[in-house]
Amino acid sequence: MNAAFSTHELGKRYGSQWALRDCTLEIPRGSVTALVGPNGAGKTTLLRLAVGLSRPSAGSVRVLGLDPHADAAEALPRVGFLAQEHPLYGGFTVAEMLRVGRKLNPAWDDEAARARIAELDLPLKKKVRSLSGGQRAQVALTLTLAKRPALLLLDEPVASLDPLARREFMQSVLEAVAERELTVVLSSHILADLERVCDHLVILAVGRTQLVGPIEEIVASHRLLTGPRDDAGEVARMHDVVRESHAERQTTLLVRANGHVYDARWTVHELDLEEIVLAYLGQDAARRREAVAS
Amino acid sequence: MIWLSWRLQRTETLVVLGVLALLTAWLVPTGLNMWDAYQHNSLGACIVHQALRCDSAIGLFRARFGGISNLASWFNLLPGLIGVLLAAPLVSDLENGTYRLAWTQSITRRRWLLGKLGLPVVAALLAAGGLIALFSWWRTPIAHLDGRLDTGVFDTTGTVMLGYTLFALGLALALGAVWRRTAASLIVGFVAYFAARIMVDFKLRDHLVAAVHATWRGRPPASFNNAKVLNFFATLHGHRVISGGGFTGGGVKFQAPNLNKALFHAVYQPESHFWPLQLTETALFTGVALLLIAFAAWRILRTD
Amino acid sequence: MALIAFHLDSRSGVPTYLQLVQQVRHAVQLGILQPGDQLPTVKEVVTSLAINPNTVLKAYGVLESDGIAEGRRGQGTFVKTSAPAPLGDDFGKLRRSLRQWFAQARAAGLDEQAIEALLSEQHSSARRVA
Repeated sequence: MNAAFSTHELGKRYGSQWALRDCTLEIPRGSVTALVGPNGAGKTTLLRLAVGLSRPSAGSVRVLGLDPHADAAEALPRVGFLAQEHPLYGGFTVAEMLRVGRKLNPAWDDEAARARIAELDLPLKKKVRSLSGGQRAQVALTLTLAKRPALLLLDEPVASLDPLARREFMQSVLEAVAERELTVVLSSHILADLERVCDHLVILAVGRTQLVGPIEEIVASHRLLTGPRDDAGEVARMHDVVRESHAERQTTLLVRANGHVYDARWTVHELDLEEIVLAYLGQDAARRREAVAS
Repeated sequence: MIWLSWRLQRTETLVVLGVLALLTAWLVPTGLNMWDAYQHNSLGACIVHQALRCDSAIGLFRARFGGISNLASWFNLLPGLIGVLLAAPLVSDLENGTYRLAWTQSITRRRWLLGKLGLPVVAALLAAGGLIALFSWWRTPIAHLDGRLDTGVFDTTGTVMLGYTLFALGLALALGAVWRRTAASLIVGFVAYFAARIMVDFKLRDHLVAAVHATWRGRPPASFNNAKVLNFFATLHGHRVISGGGFTGGGVKFQAPNLNKALFHAVYQPESHFWPLQLTETALFTGVALLLIAFAAWRILRTD
Repeated sequence: MALIAFHLDSRSGVPTYLQLVQQVRHAVQLGILQPGDQLPTVKEVVTSLAINPNTVLKAYGVLESDGIAEGRRGQGTFVKTSAPAPLGDDFGKLRRSLRQWFAQARAAGLDEQAIEALLSEQHSSARRVA
């Protein structure tokens, strides 16, 4: 089992509503994966299933080869999870929060935790409640990292942070990846900087996986084609059309190309990651509009 | 886990200790006064010998301490307050989402829950034990006069307070597990506790252990002394001449000069039923409390 | 302290790892980095740029397979002793001919934008062939 995190036809239902459905993916060890999708796409649900906070309604989930629920005692020490709201005990001091980590984690690295807190200039005696959002996020991250996990799951870790705190936070995460064998999965609806930080991508929309793979491959395989109107049929036979739009005389296609596009009638443009992601999310929005209309 | 549970429950525990300290500060001087008066007038001997001269002494004692004794029935609220208060740390963990922090450390939910439930249960039992010790000492003179089955005495001595405190804790925990709102769960839990207590005190308690049915002529049976009377009447030649209920005070002689030939009928809980009644009621409250705590645990464990 | 500092141009469209590779190549070619010099450690690059460590590893991997750098176990990545010698004469020649070309372009009436368009078009088509 070489995947750090894998799911097979994973589904989660709350009442009659599926929050996640048919999710199959495999995330290799040592990678930094972005989990991208609009709000309500099931990102949080997927991460919660991975850390065992939720139980699957369908399919299966494995982290580091373990079932997060059945093998909780074995899996929990090796998986770090940071919830979006960075829950901490507000009335505790930073030092007390570290003590919580020490008491609840057998593999706790107290030295590293203290070094990080000192490096970040966080006051040990201050109450968590009186820290800034960025500082709280850093304390929560310190707690998660000092546990020495092999898999780190971050749910919208920077959504509530200002740009500087965001940068510092991601720096900390990436430094941890550089220091030791660590797989990171982070969900985000902020697309900027993803390419810098991540090497794998999972696009989730309407509770399903739309695209999974190494970012480099994704960027290399997606192309924007412009050409004469109504010639899309042939291209569609060869390549997967993600988005199609028509002007009076021109058709623009965003395709996932299976090999080279040889057709001379089409002009081929390269795309950056953000455009590709937006195309998939737009596809999702269109599908949802159709669903409402029908 | 124990350190964390303790740290999260520190404030509540200190509040409980504060309440106990305040209570001690009030109970010790008044209790000493009461014991002093009791011994000064040799009321103990009076009660044993049922001497007539005692009536006035007992009357004086009652006049002096009746007010305090009645005031003390408010102490029935204390186990409820302590119980719901000790439920607060767990419920606020659920309300603030910090349980997710604990659940994603290296310990399993079960271990977490064991600490989060075990500590308040232990604290509740210790606090209830403290209350029982205080009240038992303080109430003894009154218990001698009125019998231990008197509601005010019964509720604060023996073992029932253990059950009451656990029951209030269980109520607030169960509500909190469903609601996840600390203030609402504590308030509603306390109101429900109070309602249940009134129900049991006035309706259920007398039937927890089978009452004694007795019929006599002349002197009442020894067990009628200090009994809690549920029904009482006298018949003379088949006609009902007296009816009523209530307590038979130990110091007051039962006198019915004109009813020498009357037949007395009584349904009552004799004082010898004190422990059976105490234990049954304790078991009842503790049992319901355990069910409530088990429900809360089940509900919390299947959260997702 | 690292010998050189990387910087990223997020609007260039050039993949991050290639930007790192190019910057090391430039530094070697311009003589800023000498054979035996240590490249910034992965941690240093990650700390300064907040980029994925795997990207840095990939860039260093490319430099190694190109024979420009070599990894020493447990020490880091170093400029290889056999790195291509800095362009001396060739460099000057190319520079002169480029300057000439710019003069010709202006004489032909091309403005800045036209020159840039022409350059980037030729650059990208040359890259594709390579």
